[in-house]
Amino acid sequence: SVQAHKEEDNPQKTMEVNGLTPVPDSYDYDLIVIGGGSGGLAAAKEAAKYGKKVMVLDFVTPTPQGSSWGLGGTCVNVGCIPKKLMHQAALLGQALQDSRKFGWQFTEEVEHNWMTMTESVQNYIGSLNWGYRVALRDTKVTYENAYGEFVGPHTIKATNKKGIEKLYTAERFIIATGERPRYLGIPGDKEYCISSDDLFSLPYCPGKTLVVGASYVALECAGFLAGLGLDVTVMVRSILLRGFDQDMANKIGEYMKEHGVNFIREFVPIKVEQVEEGTPGILKVTAKSTTGGQMIEGEYNTVLLAIGRDPCTRKIGLDKVGVNINEKTGKIPVNDEEQTNVPHIYAVGDILQGKLELTPVAIQAGRLLVRRLYAGETTKCDYVNVPTTVFTPLEYGACGYSEETAVEKFGEENIEVYHSHFWPLEWTVPSRDNNKCYAKIICNIQDNERVIGFHVLGPNAGEVTQGFAAAIKCGLTKEQLDSTIGIHPVCAEV
Amino acid sequence: MGWEEMQVRGYPEFVRTAQSYHGRPIFALFCGDKDAEGRSWCPDCVTAEPIVRKELHNLPDESVFIYCLVGDRAYWKDPNNEFRRNLKLTGVPTLLKYGTPQKLVEEECFKAELVRMLFTED
Repeated sequence: SVQAHKEEDNPQKTMEVNGLTPVPDSYDYDLIVIGGGSGGLAAAKEAAKYGKKVMVLDFVTPTPQGSSWGLGGTCVNVGCIPKKLMHQAALLGQALQDSRKFGWQFTEEVEHNWMTMTESVQNYIGSLNWGYRVALRDTKVTYENAYGEFVGPHTIKATNKKGIEKLYTAERFIIATGERPRYLGIPGDKEYCISSDDLFSLPYCPGKTLVVGASYVALECAGFLAGLGLDVTVMVRSILLRGFDQDMANKIGEYMKEHGVNFIREFVPIKVEQVEEGTPGILKVTAKSTTGGQMIEGEYNTVLLAIGRDPCTRKIGLDKVGVNINEKTGKIPVNDEEQTNVPHIYAVGDILQGKLELTPVAIQAGRLLVRRLYAGETTKCDYVNVPTTVFTPLEYGACGYSEETAVEKFGEENIEVYHSHFWPLEWTVPSRDNNKCYAKIICNIQDNERVIGFHVLGPNAGEVTQGFAAAIKCGLTKEQLDSTIGIHPVCAEV
Repeated sequence: MGWEEMQVRGYPEFVRTAQSYHGRPIFALFCGDKDAEGRSWCPDCVTAEPIVRKELHNLPDESVFIYCLVGDRAYWKDPNNEFRRNLKLTGVPTLLKYGTPQKLVEEECFKAELVRMLFTED
């Protein structure tokens, strides 16, 4: 059954003069946010602060394997949070090994229990889901666990998991529906393969794993799985970490290879078959070379697809309200105020065309957008010099231009690259690699040797990079960097 | 059948009672001990209890509501007491859904809306 909600005691909204289309003079909500992830929740909570009547619709379509999760979006449930926790689990495994050299004595061999780790991680995520629900209820934001889609210029249809439909109207909308992992489109992919959406709640140890892809998702997952002691192979179609500084990407790959991750380069899977059922079972993967006709086969317990993510914009009724999307990618083009081509409909987060797919970016964009809409502010989201970190076994932090992009934009003769290998003090005693950690900065010679790119490969790269991002935002030059005395003994002093 | 209430005191009794109801939804309210006049040493618990009790009729069928007195103020202040160590309680009053990460702590228990949400939503 379908009900239309009309709140009779809503204050009168200004009549919209919109050609000949009659519009209701009062809406159920000031703002409806479609998508309860990083961007959506930040925007909703901010709007509630200004006394606006807000609704958040969040719904997770289960994966082909049946995985689903609670309120909070990708980052909290199947992204940054569980990823970093599992990365930490792997680092702790390494630390246990190092500890012997520092004098810790234990006779038993140390093993990893997947279920113990996964239960702890899922428990923490559950507390975050609950925390968001409390926060929304406390700030009087209406939350419905329902799939939202446009059915009219100011009307959304929300369908819950029981199939019950309700209609809601709002003056403005923010689309923040995020993305989901892409599948290969080959036989056996949806039946037998998993994605990052499934990995962090997998109720059994994945065992011998083939990771397909060369994105940061692929490398981070391959990295921690190997760190937990599993046999991991990464199948790469062409290059690693497209879009990132390739010099750094190759160093990351080299490090992973030297530390037990197998790489199969220039191959793509063409079919996945089940050899044996089980949790995990055994899968046979057939792959074809991208540079010739060669075919190979391999058997794995688990195949993890990490070949990219697609925006959830195709089935939310955008055609009904005339919001343009890039037909090829599904991304939504917006102006520098996150406004779509339809003035009262906005978008934030991973679905935006040409913007970085990062949680803090979505949060910042969402908050600033709402402040511009309801608090008279004018600040726009600054998408330049956004720092980021890849949590591969050897972490990589970056801010600003890659070397390639800097050369392209400024010309090779106008940039200067300063670089250095370093050996973390903590790695000396346990005899860990002395020539793998690396840092480089890229400077614009014509602009006072302004630092336009910062790259560091080493432990705690995220922590190191954050401060430098602030310095770069302030216009850090090489001279200022040189005159900053280092902290000793830390990696960042390099 | 509707819901039922059990009143317990101290950690061992709480655990025994919770285990005996394994399989049914269990909600628990933890408060400081009450004196002879029925007043708790914990002022927030005094505020929260009537608000929580007013929402009990929203409990799902078959569920159990355990009202648990944790002990005297000195016991509670000990950072190693069993409630802090094993149940990870950080304050009283705490209202929680046993076996899930869902809980309301201190002033959150004063908000009828949140109590209702804990009792009625998944």
